Amino acid sequence: MSILTGPMNHHLDGHKELTKHKDVLKTIDPDQVFIPLVNGNAPCNALVSVGDEVKVGTKIAERNDHFYVPLFSPVSGTVTGVEKFMTASMGQAQHLVIQNDHKHEAVRAFAPFDYETASWEELLDFVRNSGMVGLGGAGFPTYVKYLKPENVELFVVNAVECEPYLTADYKNIEENIGLLKTGTLALFKLSKAAKGCVAIKEDKVEQIEELKKAFAGTPIEIRTVPDLYPMGWERTLVYQLTKKRYDKLPIEAGCILNNASTAIALGNAIDNGMPITHKYVTVSGDALNNPQNVYVPVGTRASVIIDAVGGYKEGTENVLLIAGGPMMGKAIPNDKFVIMPQSNGLTVLNNKPKEEVKCLRCGRCTETCPSGLQPVRIAMSAAIFDEEEIMKLSVMDCIECGMCTWICPSKIDVTENVRRAKNFVRTRMAIRAKEAKK
Amino acid sequence: MKFTYKPSPNYRNTQSTGGIMFDLTMCLCAVVLFSAVYYSIAYGFAYGLRVILMTLVSLIAAIGTEAVYFRMRGREVKKEILHSYGWVTALILTLITRLDVSYYALFVGTVVAIIIGKLVFGGFGQNIFNPAAFGEALIMNSFSASKSAQVTADVFSGATPMAAMNSNNWILSSSAMGNFIKGFGGWGGLLVGSYPSVIGGSCALLILLCGVYLLWRKDIDWHLSVTYLITVFCVSLVVGLIKGAGINYAIFNVISGGVLFGTVFMMTDPVTTPITIPGRMVFAVGCAALTLILRWKSNLPDGVLFSILLMNMLTPAIDKLVDGNQIKNQVQIRRKVVYTSIVVILAALGVGMTLDKVAAETPASSDAAAETSEPAGMALEDFSANEAGCRVYSNVDDTAYVYHCSAKGFEGTNKATITVDATKGTITSVEVTDFGDTTGVGDAATTADELKRYENATINSSIDATAGATYTSASIRAMAAKALNMAAGK
Repeated sequence: MSILTGPMNHHLDGHKELTKHKDVLKTIDPDQVFIPLVNGNAPCNALVSVGDEVKVGTKIAERNDHFYVPLFSPVSGTVTGVEKFMTASMGQAQHLVIQNDHKHEAVRAFAPFDYETASWEELLDFVRNSGMVGLGGAGFPTYVKYLKPENVELFVVNAVECEPYLTADYKNIEENIGLLKTGTLALFKLSKAAKGCVAIKEDKVEQIEELKKAFAGTPIEIRTVPDLYPMGWERTLVYQLTKKRYDKLPIEAGCILNNASTAIALGNAIDNGMPITHKYVTVSGDALNNPQNVYVPVGTRASVIIDAVGGYKEGTENVLLIAGGPMMGKAIPNDKFVIMPQSNGLTVLNNKPKEEVKCLRCGRCTETCPSGLQPVRIAMSAAIFDEEEIMKLSVMDCIECGMCTWICPSKIDVTENVRRAKNFVRTRMAIRAKEAKK
Repeated sequence: MKFTYKPSPNYRNTQSTGGIMFDLTMCLCAVVLFSAVYYSIAYGFAYGLRVILMTLVSLIAAIGTEAVYFRMRGREVKKEILHSYGWVTALILTLITRLDVSYYALFVGTVVAIIIGKLVFGGFGQNIFNPAAFGEALIMNSFSASKSAQVTADVFSGATPMAAMNSNNWILSSSAMGNFIKGFGGWGGLLVGSYPSVIGGSCALLILLCGVYLLWRKDIDWHLSVTYLITVFCVSLVVGLIKGAGINYAIFNVISGGVLFGTVFMMTDPVTTPITIPGRMVFAVGCAALTLILRWKSNLPDGVLFSILLMNMLTPAIDKLVDGNQIKNQVQIRRKVVYTSIVVILAALGVGMTLDKVAAETPASSDAAAETSEPAGMALEDFSANEAGCRVYSNVDDTAYVYHCSAKGFEGTNKATITVDATKGTITSVEVTDFGDTTGVGDAATTADELKRYENATINSSIDATAGATYTSASIRAMAAKALNMAAGK
């Protein structure tokens, strides 16, 4: 940030008080779970077939291309089929259907493991085989980040949770601070970093104290960051903590980051030998009777969860059912999609009409863009299909954080315009690549 | 339950364009009201009313034009008008117009500002020029004769600070600068705006207050305004110091004329200024340099209006200049901003260096003459009871400075227009314009023959009182002495 760039972030009203101090609902036990056979954009191969009996912790599928990610059953029961429908990230995917027998029989997926005595290679293998993925939302395989930890100065556990409405990480840390400690120290060891820290928003005063107590005597510091959006984004967080910018990966700035719930999941795998089977999910929004956090098996349908928390407010007819928070989460046009390992929220908002007026070129989108882009100029160039200009405005650096739409006083869907510009450029590139092949 | 799809994000800030425009409208209305009250008190209720009526004429012209236009285009008239914000243009245009401009000229100016300045470009958000500035440029250039003579005579009898400065070639000695500011009621007078000017352009304090309010409400961006004010101040400070006008010159340049109004209400119009902060800073520096250059070297009443219009034309170019990723291309962008600013500021300073004092030599020599010769005559008289005051009406020609003076006589106040040859330090003519003493007694001193005795008088001349009209004579001598002293730069 300098005098010439504007703040590149903004405080958002988080509405976190809706769910922050309520107990987590843990009784949801769906009759069926649907495990999406997908990680990122890559499909996963099922390792079980219809009719097979599975237990909690049975390996049921894996991704095995250039990355390796195993998937585990969150319930005990019988595999009954494969269905294709829309996932929480709006793509179509095959889902492995498991009929829940409600017996909760579990197998210990991993042998007892001591990360302190294990070698670095053993630890990396453990992270890889336990199917750890980035639970902040990306679902990126965790072990890949640690393959070549050279000159790492700072290891960061990201407990910022800047997305409005969401408090799943907050509740997860509150209930599992011991697992967080185990997972954090294991990842810290894996990162070979000089220093480690847990980054958390300064307004979570009580939790900061808890964390300080838990991490006393370890090399992990607790560092507070301002209550701004998108403070939890890797680039913004790395800049906030180190004042460094990087081009592609945070390791260029000497940093490795992982989400707090990823660290907790790893802690759970180390201490209890269990993979990612359940998720803390915030169910919140102004269209719900009783917003709260739930702890549900991966693969639980959104409709089941919403019914379990008390359903929609009376008189609600038209809602936006958002997988995730309202900024980066996608509004899904049905309630059949399921909780994926990286899901952390369901936000249900009344679909209010909005009035869009003409752009007044105020430049607020430029001032708050965390990537330093000029969304309004990108949109203008996209409107006249000026590919050269769009590229000059480095459109591909957009992460669709939604800041530009949020801040726009004219209520224009700025982020969507930038998204279209990105798609336009991608299409052009694809066409050129095709022509070059010929 | 209906599940709707909308692209993310589905979360919105509460601030809206309508809200921003509402705040802006409130601030503009405050300035209109202040002006109405000020003109009522200073010049009479009719002039306060004229402020309100002019505002109404412009508002009707703006909204009426838009209504007709949207009707003809087959649009939903009410909705389009609400989102076109034509009233803001009308309010700003009224406030940058002089009170003596005819209703007719203001009406036509507003219509043209709305149509040519805004609608033909595609309406709100698409216009290249600031519509209000566009309209005022038209009024100034095409309707300079369409004025109410009565208002001109009553309100604009004295020169505005801008016109007076213009006739001094925009440079004065440090002491003359002090006198000049005193002539307009000192800093207090300049801040409150107790001098004739454009309708809304004079109360610096109120405009600053509006600016602070709009900043606090996050309606406007500070980068442009602050850069503009700092550049105007610094460039005129350097010129002022080198040319011997002192720091007062820089302060005067910032708080008088249209600088504050322009920067709070016109340059913050986002539609016609660059989008990015670096772009806005380049715009502000360019605007500041042009404001000063136009003030110094053009025969326009003020440089602000045309500096805004000229920079409006460059806005797309500036946007292009500082294009790119604000993080990755930060160094290049910063370099471009700094280099452009340096070049522009140097150009302004260069122009500033060519400023030459009007009659800089002559008042000095008459000073010298006054110092060497023994004070005598009027120089020794005590006129304090007369409370004589003079205002510069014209000081373009060294040999004919014209002052509008007034002084207390026997029972009332006498007014006179006194012409002084500043090169010789002598009076050229005295003409009594308003006689406030006893008719049939004091007017013996105001006959053409009696007044002729003042011709070629210096400050050291003794002029005998007219028999039977001692008090009136004293008041005329008091005015003459005041005018002579002012011409000598005292």
